[in-house]
Amino acid sequence: MAHKTGGVDAYLPGAQGSTLSAWAALPFFVILALGMATVSCSKAAPAPSSAQPATTGQAPASSSSASPAKSATAAKPPTSGAKTTVKPAAKPAAPLGAPVKTYGSSNAPITMEVFSDYECPSCRNLYENTLRSLINDYVAAGKVYLIHRDYPLPMHKYGYEAARWLNASARVGKFADVESALYDNQNSWAADGNIGKYVLAAMSPAEFKRVETIMHGCGADSAGTKPASFALGQSAGAACSVDSYIEADRVLGNKVPVQATPTYVITYKGNRLPAGSGFVSWPILKQFFDSLLSQ
Amino acid sequence: MTLLGSVLEWLAWWGYCFVVAGAIAVVLVRNPEMRLKVLRPLLVLGGVLVGSIFLAAAYGKLKPFPGFSWGWTSLRISITYFAMQVGSYEILPPAASNFVAHVLPFFELALGLWLVSGIARRYSSLLASLAFFCFMSAITYAWLGGKKINCGCGIGPDEQAGPGALLRDGKRFFLPSLLMMIGSFYYTRRKRASSVVVETIGSAAHAD
Repeated sequence: MAHKTGGVDAYLPGAQGSTLSAWAALPFFVILALGMATVSCSKAAPAPSSAQPATTGQAPASSSSASPAKSATAAKPPTSGAKTTVKPAAKPAAPLGAPVKTYGSSNAPITMEVFSDYECPSCRNLYENTLRSLINDYVAAGKVYLIHRDYPLPMHKYGYEAARWLNASARVGKFADVESALYDNQNSWAADGNIGKYVLAAMSPAEFKRVETIMHGCGADSAGTKPASFALGQSAGAACSVDSYIEADRVLGNKVPVQATPTYVITYKGNRLPAGSGFVSWPILKQFFDSLLSQ
Repeated sequence: MTLLGSVLEWLAWWGYCFVVAGAIAVVLVRNPEMRLKVLRPLLVLGGVLVGSIFLAAAYGKLKPFPGFSWGWTSLRISITYFAMQVGSYEILPPAASNFVAHVLPFFELALGLWLVSGIARRYSSLLASLAFFCFMSAITYAWLGGKKINCGCGIGPDEQAGPGALLRDGKRFFLPSLLMMIGSFYYTRRKRASSVVVETIGSAAHAD
């Protein structure tokens, strides 16, 4: 007949006369779980969005609950509390590169650059009735390399803000989804300037947090204010990290020169064709590409 | 071919000056017989100048892009590119725009040659005036619709569809064509009238 004994015997399974009850084993499992959690936290790759404050915040939490016996080794990095010991976690995520606002392969024989404003109805018309088909067909087939260039127009109240959101989204790899969301809901956000809502809907909350971090300092409020430098036509003072990419596109556009949006520049095997502007239907554009490819 | 194109473009761009000057000269001549004598060579010159407008327009639409050489493929590329410009007006459905783009350059080529030849000058100049009127109507339509597009004229520097393009096309292309039409109809009518008078006098003298 099993009877309860005190001390360690109570925890040894199979021991004659010992009784293992759930309550007795509970501390053991708690310690085991904490130890496993501590080990996994210390060995895991740093989270992509981990800023230093978030990372260092984890260390005290895990060290405070770590038991001395099991988790001493696992908790070593965060236990010390020294900021310099947490090598992979303390560093911020790999620096984000320039926003990638392209579709397809750069090796495609035809390159099409489209200068557009997200608040421009003609640009939306072009995107929804032509560029979508182009992306699904010729870009996917490797025939065309499509590049988006920002050219927000001063008369559009939220155009510049939309470009900022898009560039920020592009930096986290969500360019295509956000572009689609912005054009699909153009009427809505152009009325109230609430662009963030549609950006959020196009990505996960974690990704949106990263975008918000990038947008820090961009004055991204619901009023859709543009920077003073935009109104004056001068370059910004690097207050918003994505403004430089928008301005770089505008400089390219001024060289074309872009007089209206959308404006497209097609290059075939290094030969740049005269810029075109306005809407062009997919059948006609496809016909033109076919004539180029038959060269 | 490039030299010919350049000459045509120059004639098309500046020809309106000669046509307008000639029209003023004709008006200033009082004597009807002298007026007809002055008008005839001016109509020949006007035919060449207005014809050069259409020939230059056709050349501008058909010539190969930089980096491409003359050939059937470059021709096809130029025509399909022109189809994109016609489509940007959003007046016609895509199929119709495509058809117009394929036909219009050759229509301009044929009309230009017809005007230069001087055959049935009244009708060729009438057709030319109608064609310019249609072009200007399309530009007006695009401008009123708020479309910021290239006018696609094929002559001179690229110009956005708007009052500037209308003024340019009106002054340089439509006005000479209109003067040509008026002059050719006037000349034919006066010529017929004077030949009827001559015949009447001749028959009367013969009867005597």
